[in-house]
Amino acid sequence: MSGGDYLWDGKGEPDAEVRELEERLRPLRRLPLRPAWPADAGRKGPRRWAGLAAAAVLAIALGVTVLRSPGARVGWGLRWLEGDSWSDSRVVREETLGAGEWIDTRAARARLSVGRMGDEIGEVQLEPKTRVGLVDPGEKAHRLSLSRGVMHATIWAPPGDFVVDTPSAVAVDMGCRYTLEVDEQGAGLLRVEAGWVGFEHRGLQSLVPAGAICATRTGIGPGTPSFETASRAFAQALETIDFGPPGEARQQALERVLTEARARDGLSLWHLLGRLEGEDRGRVFDRLKALVPPPDGVTRDGILRGERAMRDLWWDALGLQSSEHWRVWTGSWSDPAPRDKRYTAPAR
Amino acid sequence: MDELASLIPAAAPSAEAQLVAAAQAGDRGAYGRLYDRFAPMVHGLLLARVPRGDVDDLVQDVFLQAMRRLSSLRSAEAFGGWIATIARNRARDHWRRGEDTVELPEDVTGALHPEGEAWAVLALIRRLPEAYRETLVLRLVEGMTGPEIAERTGLTPGSVRVNLHRGFQMLREALGRSQKP
Repeated sequence: MSGGDYLWDGKGEPDAEVRELEERLRPLRRLPLRPAWPADAGRKGPRRWAGLAAAAVLAIALGVTVLRSPGARVGWGLRWLEGDSWSDSRVVREETLGAGEWIDTRAARARLSVGRMGDEIGEVQLEPKTRVGLVDPGEKAHRLSLSRGVMHATIWAPPGDFVVDTPSAVAVDMGCRYTLEVDEQGAGLLRVEAGWVGFEHRGLQSLVPAGAICATRTGIGPGTPSFETASRAFAQALETIDFGPPGEARQQALERVLTEARARDGLSLWHLLGRLEGEDRGRVFDRLKALVPPPDGVTRDGILRGERAMRDLWWDALGLQSSEHWRVWTGSWSDPAPRDKRYTAPAR
Repeated sequence: MDELASLIPAAAPSAEAQLVAAAQAGDRGAYGRLYDRFAPMVHGLLLARVPRGDVDDLVQDVFLQAMRRLSSLRSAEAFGGWIATIARNRARDHWRRGEDTVELPEDVTGALHPEGEAWAVLALIRRLPEAYRETLVLRLVEGMTGPEIAERTGLTPGSVRVNLHRGFQMLREALGRSQKP
């Protein structure tokens, strides 16, 4: 038997197997919101026996009404937390975030259930100084708007069922765990820990797998995703290509990207094939071909012409996941919530 | 002997006992704090026994039942063991009544759905003997330590420790891992 002390009291040298199983089982560690406690039920006192039956009926009736009534306020469970960290926090207040409502966490942390009570598809943790609004509680999709701050999402619904609008891109969950940050200027950063996330703005799409990050800027949209293990020079050069002004600096950045790229950075080069044009696209083709040979049917001319089917074929050769998987879920991305309903509600 | 006993100060009631007393007096906030403290245990006990789609509803059901019966609890210090018993009975009752349940398939791919992988491991735990699966779920899912499990459920530390170690060994075997020396 290994990990005796750690298994028993969580102290001492962590046992690798115990830790692994703790991590694998952690997604199940979630609790339903507190029910609405019926008044006076369980109270000790002279009237307790006389009122017991009535209290029991009241308890059941109120509990069922609050939890089940179709007429109940539509929204997601929200728990406000107190404490210096996620691991050392306790719930101090619970309420419901209704459709169309916004919250600003200010100095506190909060947990937001994704979905109506009893029908949750995930959970979002909100860091201090975060502002989010509930756009759609689940009528068409589960949709939040993040205008500022940091949120950590864990979603176990099928792909495409959880969407987050930000000022510069829309994040579409494809079965995963991720962190999304938005600064005061509306620029964002997506960091994916498990599964996939799609990032989209006006037809510009980025597909971000676990271990990768993707920045976004207001008015431009999502940049080129890259693995966090890529070199710093590679990441900085990508940022220049994505968000820098056209000119010599951008050309130098492309040179740096092509020089620094590893086979694993095929993820980034593949995205650049769809973003660059002309000879720049041709140079990316040549470098990606050297790192990840294209399958039969993929030609330089076809890629230069922008044939999506060829790019998809090549994607499948990157060893990430079949393009069929995410093409299914990206068809309706260009239909975010109407603009006049976004970022308009005042903080509560 | 009586004289000696009178010199020993009575033990101060624990924070838990104070919450129970306040809840018995009708303080719903106190009962809410008891929920925060004991809901992970109740959640774990149910997760070890009933279909996953029913766990959340039953957690709430157990606390509502307990609230109705709270006045009958003689020893506030025994709240943990008492509500654990209500949870185990509620799980048995759930099966006996054949309440409508929907057990979702266990073959969700873990690679894309972290929770699917978790359910697959839980399915193995749920095939273990009851005493082992209960302590394993409380330790590995709910993140409680062995001493906390003993304190909250009312089981002896020795029993919990044995159940944890034997259960973990059985889980390793169920996962197809070789014996460790």
